[in-house]
Amino acid sequence: MEKLIEVELILHLKRGDCDMTENPTKKDEVIDRLTDQILSRFKKMGHDVDPKEVSKRLKLLIYEFKVPEDEAIRTVTNYLIKELDIAREDLFSRESPLKNISDLSKSGEWVSLKAKVVQLWDTESPNVSQVGLIGDSTGIIKFVVWAKARKPEVEEGKSYIFKNVVTDSFGGRLQVNINRNSEIIEIDEDISLPPREIEIVGSLVAIQQGSGLIQRCPECHRALKKGLCATHGKVEGYDDLRVKGVIDDGLNCYDVILNEENIKYLTEIGLEEARKIATETLDRESVLSELKNRLLGRYFRIIGSRGERYLIVREIDFLKRDVIKETNDILAEIQSMLG
Amino acid sequence: MRMMPLQKREIAKRVFAYELSKSTYMTSESGDRMPKYVLTPTGARCNRVFFVGVLLDKEEVRPDSNFWRIRISDPTGVITGFIGRYQADALESLLEIQPPELIAVVAKLNIFEGETRSFISLRPEAISVVDSETRDFWVVETARRTVERLKNMLDDCDEDCQLAKEVYNTDVEEYLQTVKNALLAIKEEVEVFSDLDKTEAVSETELVDEAKVTKKVTEVEVQEEDISDIEPDIDLDDFEFEEEEWDLSDLLEEEE
Repeated sequence: MEKLIEVELILHLKRGDCDMTENPTKKDEVIDRLTDQILSRFKKMGHDVDPKEVSKRLKLLIYEFKVPEDEAIRTVTNYLIKELDIAREDLFSRESPLKNISDLSKSGEWVSLKAKVVQLWDTESPNVSQVGLIGDSTGIIKFVVWAKARKPEVEEGKSYIFKNVVTDSFGGRLQVNINRNSEIIEIDEDISLPPREIEIVGSLVAIQQGSGLIQRCPECHRALKKGLCATHGKVEGYDDLRVKGVIDDGLNCYDVILNEENIKYLTEIGLEEARKIATETLDRESVLSELKNRLLGRYFRIIGSRGERYLIVREIDFLKRDVIKETNDILAEIQSMLG
Repeated sequence: MRMMPLQKREIAKRVFAYELSKSTYMTSESGDRMPKYVLTPTGARCNRVFFVGVLLDKEEVRPDSNFWRIRISDPTGVITGFIGRYQADALESLLEIQPPELIAVVAKLNIFEGETRSFISLRPEAISVVDSETRDFWVVETARRTVERLKNMLDDCDEDCQLAKEVYNTDVEEYLQTVKNALLAIKEEVEVFSDLDKTEAVSETELVDEAKVTKKVTEVEVQEEDISDIEPDIDLDDFEFEEEEWDLSDLLEEEE
């Protein structure tokens, strides 16, 4: 991490490189700029350093001894660290700054986040240990834990400090990657998620694959595909009920996942009833047919918050509307347009 | 991990059968992978629609071809759909349904260019039996969306709306009247039913229900004559020939 910050600093300085003419004012400008750079870094730590001292040393190194700029900065910085008797770790803090999710804007940024695991998705790649969404009060972002990172698995609904994670852009969207240098620490605190909930009224226009009476891996709780878990291979799965679908209101569409509770509320088919249907018909797929019969093409009112891919449903019900009133409203509007 | 551009799912537009059946213009954007859109007379750009109506009939285009033609009606008119084995989900549902029945349909659109006229049809992806409440919601929602588009035509006309005006020379009043009639039909029915509920005349409800269905079917038969005008133009023989040649890709191809 320390190295990384230094490299960043160097890169930053490099960008400002100017041609080394013999022009003395140009030289002064370079020294001033580098001096400020060093001073501000120490100032953040609460140390006031004499700018003259810094400038003098820089000048000597760069123009007398022809030391490269980045080397000169490192040398002066090291000198000051010793002089002021401060810990290196404090200056080159080993921890990336704690940020809000909404503050993340570019990829390649090293940050720490205090966030709750909102959703875990099925991973398709063996390189990925876990993938899903984390959120704090400012927003929700996709996260990826690389298998190589060898981190303990996080759980849905629990809150953690994700130390030293790096932002990355994938498919045009920002995500955070958890790698070997990162740290995941569970905290005994319930991070609240963004309050921005939306209400959607639309029809369920599609029920997708992986819906119905599914089986999950007992270890990672991901849905099995043909009895196989992407990570753990052949396992004795356990039953669950879910619907992955699309709600469309004619202006937008939203991917939604309904869990067993949602499904039971809407259809009176819970896990137990679903198992019964499967046993009676000797076909697990008939549960999906039954759910399609009861849900597909119907109108729903949903309250939930937007995740990266799926709408996180908090409340769902069949739409109830006063058709007469709405009809009258539109008729009045038509009348006014007809003049 | 494979980088794949996230193609956004096409929104299912709400358009009445009357307007759909008058739609003849298909956008031809460059590139094979570009989705095709039907531009309707009120300027709705549709790749996919959500439609709720009465399944009037279903028939297999040729015996044992597993290629079905269906006709669906809303209060404004009738629209035709074709379902082949590539629309497996829709086909599976259709085989279970006996017309007349209220259904919800999610469908892609096709336009056949006839010699004298173009002919639009639905290629359903999903079909499900629904209740009359769903139909009412759909009519209200479709009415609202259509009125919004018509308003747009009168006020600040955007690009699609401008194009629709040029292609169809759209008569705003004509479409407002269509929407109005659709709403009145729904309103009447809802009022009749709520009155009946109050008197708890269950047997009467059934009678009215039946009467309604027959009434609807006759209404539809009137409109059917409109359609039959068009039918010779589609040239069903050509059509079948093409299917044997496996050249109905547009119609049968599985959605990517």
